[in-house]
Amino acid sequence: MDLISQGVVSGVLFGGLYALMSLGLSLSWGALKIINLAHFSFILLSAYIVYQLSVSYQIDPLLAMVVVVPIFFVIGALMQMFFHAVDVDEFKSLIITFGIFIILQSLIQTVWSADFRRIGIELNPYATQSISFGGVAFPVSQLIAFVAAVLIAVGMSLLLSRTYFGKAVRAVAQDRSMARAYGVDPRRVAVILSGLATSFSALAGLFVAVGQSIFPGLAVGWFGIVFSVVILGGLGNTLGTLTAGVVVGVAANTASVTWGPLSAPLVTFLILIAALLFRPEGLLTRRSVA
Amino acid sequence: MRTQRRRRYLVVILVLALIAAACGGDDTTDTTDTTAPADTETTVPSDTETTEPEEMEEPSGEPIRIGGTLALTGFLAATGAIHQAVGEVFVERLNEQGGLLGRPVEWVLLDDESAPDQSAAAYERLITEDEVDLVIGPYGTGNITSAMAVAERYGYVFPHHTASLTYAYNYACHFSSWSTGLHPNITNPNLIYDALESTGTPPETIGFVVNEFPGTMFIAYGQDGTDEGGAVSLAEDRGWDVVLDLTFPTATSDWAPIAAQIRDADPDFLYIAGLGVNASNIITAMQAIDYSPAGMFSQWPAPGPLLQTEGADGIMSVTIFEEHPPFTDNPDAVEVSGLINDALADAGIPYTKVETQAAASWTAWEYLTQAAEGAGSLDQQAMCDWLLENGADTLFQGHIEFRPDEQNYFEDLSKLKQVQDGDWWVVYPEEFAAPDRSLIYSPDE
Repeated sequence: MDLISQGVVSGVLFGGLYALMSLGLSLSWGALKIINLAHFSFILLSAYIVYQLSVSYQIDPLLAMVVVVPIFFVIGALMQMFFHAVDVDEFKSLIITFGIFIILQSLIQTVWSADFRRIGIELNPYATQSISFGGVAFPVSQLIAFVAAVLIAVGMSLLLSRTYFGKAVRAVAQDRSMARAYGVDPRRVAVILSGLATSFSALAGLFVAVGQSIFPGLAVGWFGIVFSVVILGGLGNTLGTLTAGVVVGVAANTASVTWGPLSAPLVTFLILIAALLFRPEGLLTRRSVA
Repeated sequence: MRTQRRRRYLVVILVLALIAAACGGDDTTDTTDTTAPADTETTVPSDTETTEPEEMEEPSGEPIRIGGTLALTGFLAATGAIHQAVGEVFVERLNEQGGLLGRPVEWVLLDDESAPDQSAAAYERLITEDEVDLVIGPYGTGNITSAMAVAERYGYVFPHHTASLTYAYNYACHFSSWSTGLHPNITNPNLIYDALESTGTPPETIGFVVNEFPGTMFIAYGQDGTDEGGAVSLAEDRGWDVVLDLTFPTATSDWAPIAAQIRDADPDFLYIAGLGVNASNIITAMQAIDYSPAGMFSQWPAPGPLLQTEGADGIMSVTIFEEHPPFTDNPDAVEVSGLINDALADAGIPYTKVETQAAASWTAWEYLTQAAEGAGSLDQQAMCDWLLENGADTLFQGHIEFRPDEQNYFEDLSKLKQVQDGDWWVVYPEEFAAPDRSLIYSPDE
């Protein structure tokens, strides 16, 4: 029973990290119709910057948040301005952002080499610390990531549903022209939302750097999980994304401790297929940002 | 209108910046031919601490072109970078010392992007289009396996580094520089188990966590379709209770379930048949759930990250060379190690010590050049015959005699090393142990 309990707890917490990795993509795809594959390289680049800041300035990696989040907000905003300038649609966004993904991955390897990097023990106690409760361990780094994911998902959900900006985002997502007619500047809304989405990926990258060794090829392994969470959660639905992250995390972890690690990706993609067949709009009934 | 034009210029500038970022930096990510700095000045760079080479006649004439690929990009690139750095040092030093057969050497290096099919295609191109004189193998079992088939088809001598599927290599002119012997699935685990028994307190229970990579599966379970066995069955033969036998996909990113299962099994000894940072990630995940086994072994880890992993103290692995006595009793080995240390540092690689990968890489180059010098020509068959008849004198592994009846493999020269006091030290067999170092293991700790 302890094994299953541990699997479930780890799954929930890891699901928070999956959600954090997926929020940005979900928002940009759902609200802006941008399938941003560069999102994965932003997570990786953030991880490397956090690593470098920790190692160069001997600082707690969590403190790097105050640097990476604003930087990546600006990057996301600039990227959206670029997309406006070249009039990117959904399909073009796939191609262009894939190119950005490749370029950034090469840049990372050029700067940091292909070798593995890891924030040392003395700077990063979070990776191995845990809180025990009822015979089950709650790893600290995953706990913090989970809390961050919940705060952001709930915060964004409130922002989108209760604020003028949120209404503007939903209006733009539904009908840009009509939104403009009502005085909403779609481009400005998109730039801000893109900045937010990219800053969420920066936060995800921070927790990646805290939790494991990083290397330039790491990002490719995230595609399957993140797309599963994004689609299962519903495009642009932040609470759905959080829920989907936890569902995928728990399912994969529980399957792994029960049937072996090979079953984890199998379960993940079965969930994705089931979601596409039976719940294509996402877990929580409300569609995207409507 | 003016705003639109301004925005278009901004777009153009941004695109050019992106292109510059992609194309900038060194040649390591370029997929076109790269040549090692063999035809540049032959003096040793002043910022390296080396002894001055003897005055040698400068090589002259048409360069001898040695073709090969390495994983300069992709998931194998971390180790590919080590082989690139070592190869460049070797070629530069070779040219400083008179070249090969009196001629300068040029290394034609292509990026196989960590993909076996790319490797095969690249070797095909190197041999048929670029018409290289010699070839040297790539890095990575899959890439070596596919490239060897090409070399065999064209009759090229094929020295290679760390290919793990030893039983698969039947080409008469292949020469492995990784001294695992033909049956590492037997000799490697026995080395570890003998070492554990030498402590007087061997484990009673053992757990296995195995990467589904073919090489690690071979080590753990032996060759499919044979009774030869591997680490798991050999442990059972010793009367140890196998309390965990778990395989995981190579692309695993969530280690928590694996850590939970290890904790649940609580083995006296954990055998991680893994690669790269598998062990680092598993240990971190175990630490995060407040668990640490009494003893651990990692098959083929990236050595640097493991030293930075909390909870990795005491973990063991295998090696063919480490930078401490008695290996460094050879002053030439010390000199070359220094050159390699500097080259790895220049390449931005954090862990710069010479160990298995760098040593095997250097050895492969030694095979090739000694074969050419020994045969007195670049005739592939003559080179192959010379190596089979004479063996090779290698800097890091001593004299090697190839055994044609064992698919050109020789004895397993692996040693057991262990992380102690924040660094790797050979601890077994005793005659190769670092001074004042011995294996530390107790199932009760």
